[in-house]
Amino acid sequence: MSAEGDRLHVVTADDIADSRLRFGKSLVWGSAVLMIFIAVLQTADQNGWIDIGFTNWRPTLYAYIFWGICLCAAQVIMRGEHGKRTLFVLPATLFVVSMVVFPLLFGLVIAFSDWNLASPDGRQFNGLDNVRQMWSDPFYWNALRNMVWYTLAIIVEYAIAFGLALLLNAEIKARKFFRVAFLLPLMLSPVAVSWMIGKSMLENRFGPVARMLRELGVDNPSFFSSPEIAQLMIMLMDAWTYIPFMMIMILAGLQAIPRELNEAAKVDGAGAWTQFWEVTFPLMLPVSITAILIRIIFKLKLADIIINVTAGGPGGATDSVTSFIFREYRDRSNVGYGTLLAIVYLVIIVVAMTILIKVADRWMRPRY
Amino acid sequence: MKVEHYNAVVRAQMNRRRLLQGAASVGAMAAVGGLATMRPAHAQAGLRAEILKIPGVGTGSPTDADWQKVGELCLGPTKERVAEGEFEGVELTFMGLNNQNLHNFLFRGFLKPWEAYTGAKINWVDLAQADYNPRLQQAIATGTVDFDIIEMGAPFEGDTAGKGLLDEMPGWVEEQIEADDLVGYLQPPVGTWDGKKYRITIDGDCHTFSYRTDYFGDGAIGGPSVPKTWQEVNAVSKALIGKEDPLTGLPAHGYLDPLKGWGGFGFYFLENRAAAYAKHPDDPAWLFDPDTMKPRVNNPAWVQAIQDVLDLIEAGAYPADQINADPGTTGFQQFLAGTGSMLMWWGDIGSNARTSDTSVVGDVVGFGINPGSDRVYNSQTGSWEDTYNEAPNMAYLGWGVYVTKRVSGDEKKRKAAWSAAAHLGGKDISLWMSAYPSGFQPYRNSHFQYDEWEAAGYDRAFIEDYLGSNADSYNHPNAAIEPRIPGIFQYYSVAEDELAKGYAGQYGSAQEIGDAIAAAWEKITDQIGRDSQIKLYKASLGI
Repeated sequence: MSAEGDRLHVVTADDIADSRLRFGKSLVWGSAVLMIFIAVLQTADQNGWIDIGFTNWRPTLYAYIFWGICLCAAQVIMRGEHGKRTLFVLPATLFVVSMVVFPLLFGLVIAFSDWNLASPDGRQFNGLDNVRQMWSDPFYWNALRNMVWYTLAIIVEYAIAFGLALLLNAEIKARKFFRVAFLLPLMLSPVAVSWMIGKSMLENRFGPVARMLRELGVDNPSFFSSPEIAQLMIMLMDAWTYIPFMMIMILAGLQAIPRELNEAAKVDGAGAWTQFWEVTFPLMLPVSITAILIRIIFKLKLADIIINVTAGGPGGATDSVTSFIFREYRDRSNVGYGTLLAIVYLVIIVVAMTILIKVADRWMRPRY
Repeated sequence: MKVEHYNAVVRAQMNRRRLLQGAASVGAMAAVGGLATMRPAHAQAGLRAEILKIPGVGTGSPTDADWQKVGELCLGPTKERVAEGEFEGVELTFMGLNNQNLHNFLFRGFLKPWEAYTGAKINWVDLAQADYNPRLQQAIATGTVDFDIIEMGAPFEGDTAGKGLLDEMPGWVEEQIEADDLVGYLQPPVGTWDGKKYRITIDGDCHTFSYRTDYFGDGAIGGPSVPKTWQEVNAVSKALIGKEDPLTGLPAHGYLDPLKGWGGFGFYFLENRAAAYAKHPDDPAWLFDPDTMKPRVNNPAWVQAIQDVLDLIEAGAYPADQINADPGTTGFQQFLAGTGSMLMWWGDIGSNARTSDTSVVGDVVGFGINPGSDRVYNSQTGSWEDTYNEAPNMAYLGWGVYVTKRVSGDEKKRKAAWSAAAHLGGKDISLWMSAYPSGFQPYRNSHFQYDEWEAAGYDRAFIEDYLGSNADSYNHPNAAIEPRIPGIFQYYSVAEDELAKGYAGQYGSAQEIGDAIAAAWEKITDQIGRDSQIKLYKASLGI
């Protein structure tokens, strides 16, 4: 920070004595050494190298908390007013590190372990065995392939959402009512949707949709028997729930477009299509990309509807990665392999989303 | 008794009474009126008759006050072995379920008088069914068993007793609960591990055969008699294609196999077919070779069971969309709603048939044990034997009460824990649990003394009809018993996944499906540990 900036915000200029600095440093390093010492002792005790008699990991946790307090106090001791400012962020950072980063690291350890809860041997490090198993696991690859299809369906969902948003942005009668009505599916839990629609309305014996189709002459209407139709029905139910979410984002974007732009285009002789394609759509691109990216993240977590309606069937046709991991983890207590699948999926999502954001960014720029 | 069963029998009786009120019955009523009013006088004297009157059949659901009253009246065996105030200062933790506000809720009431008499205090851990398995597995895997008494299913004995987490049952407990009264299949080796006893049984489970009586008989569309073997079941199912259901007028169907998984529980339904082919009377094992843990699921017997299902799929014998029918669908949305004529299920179907609002088959349903087979596969010789074989499937072995190792070091606490558990598993209190909503089914030979039920106010014909098929299955000499090995539901769950692929046509043959399941089972066995699984499987079979 520049000196000028300091003058703007710092009330007192701290003159930190050397002894105070030394005390601060020793506080940080002393508590850090203590924490490492206790952690090492506990690891040794846990692995049976020495016997201290720790019953849980609380001593290490307390040492971490002590180190965190010392670190925060040292900021003020060593840096005075600047240190106080750091205190606004540092505790939160330490909390996030302990709640996100540590568990993630533990997750990685578990992912490279052979850990079936029913195994009497407990968790055993097994190197890359889980990765090899994943590589040759047809269920996982099938689920990943399905996810590609599910994700591609977002293009259609986006088109529908855009259309609905345009309608709701237009001067139509009962606009407020329709806005609320179209939003209702988003307010429903996907579990409720899967029971109300998948297990009741689409039930092929007594479901009203099947009955109507029978009345119309369809012999045996069934919605989850063939792989393609089953996958399509899952896509439809998911789309029905989440199209309103995209719609409401796009609608907000549409309402932010200044009216003058379209009026000017009209004066210049642009027709309705030209106005949409040359004015509205380009202006809506940032909102659209955001809506699509968030929707992709939602879609990649798709599981509840599948678990409830088809349990991944018929023959894995509707399985999503999450529903497969759910079975692997919950039904088979295969904690190590399940965790690896989840972590690999997380990496795929992070990499794919980063690439997507970069590409979208580059693609959008020439329009302006 | 499970709630739905209780409601079923009570409502079934009301129907019967209504019938008796018909004009045609007036004369008969006059003739038997004296007898009818005499019925209470014929009730068995003594404690059992007394507790069965609390609160009285058909007078609404029992309350906590009723449970306490029953618990108080059944304290006799405890008082014989424990002095008043003997467990003063002892605190125990009891982990169990809270399904339908039963299980632990009942136990609390039953044990309140026990606490007052002995001076012990019980802390309760109530779990929903869905939370139960993960909680137990995690407690086991992380070594954080924090309960002294646990309500647990026998399939978990491998996970708990097999890992030395349970306390061996003292001899006096066995005497107190009169364990020799248990039905055949719940006798050891169930409840034992390495020859030691651990379980106080409080429940029983098995699959029974339900069929439509209007499909079978002279001139009926299904033939003159009810199929007795799986070969006949398949033949009838194929012959019914294109015929009309006599009750609903919709297309007629034969046997209803669930083709979709059910969190591992769906595998029990393939087992029903396979049991008749694969469970040889001379061999207690039928899922794995006990010496090697090599799966038998791809041997000719199991492959025949899978082939039976594929045959019916290919013939188009199932209702539309069967590929998405799990056991819940076949039982409640198909069979009870008038679709299909034959079904294997737990006892719920029998009672719901007469009472459920969506059931249309109440008057045309009959019961039997698991169909048999004209031939049985002998795994020892590797060949089929052309002799009739039947093997009821004891799918899930019901709930039991166990005491954990936490109390082993403290003799006073240990005695207290076992005394509490024995109070819940007592012979008399169990009769009450069988007769009233409790979440548990009958499981003792003494529960099938129909006179007691009749004296309590139940309709004898209905009770005999309803319980008879269960009793026949329970006591069958060749019952196919659930293997109580660690991770048994993992095996079932992965088999469901492979079967789903097979039924969807992704494998070339039944043999390929069986091989795929076997390969997946081998992986699980290796992961859990083959040597320990062999040891535990043998122990669970009592070999």
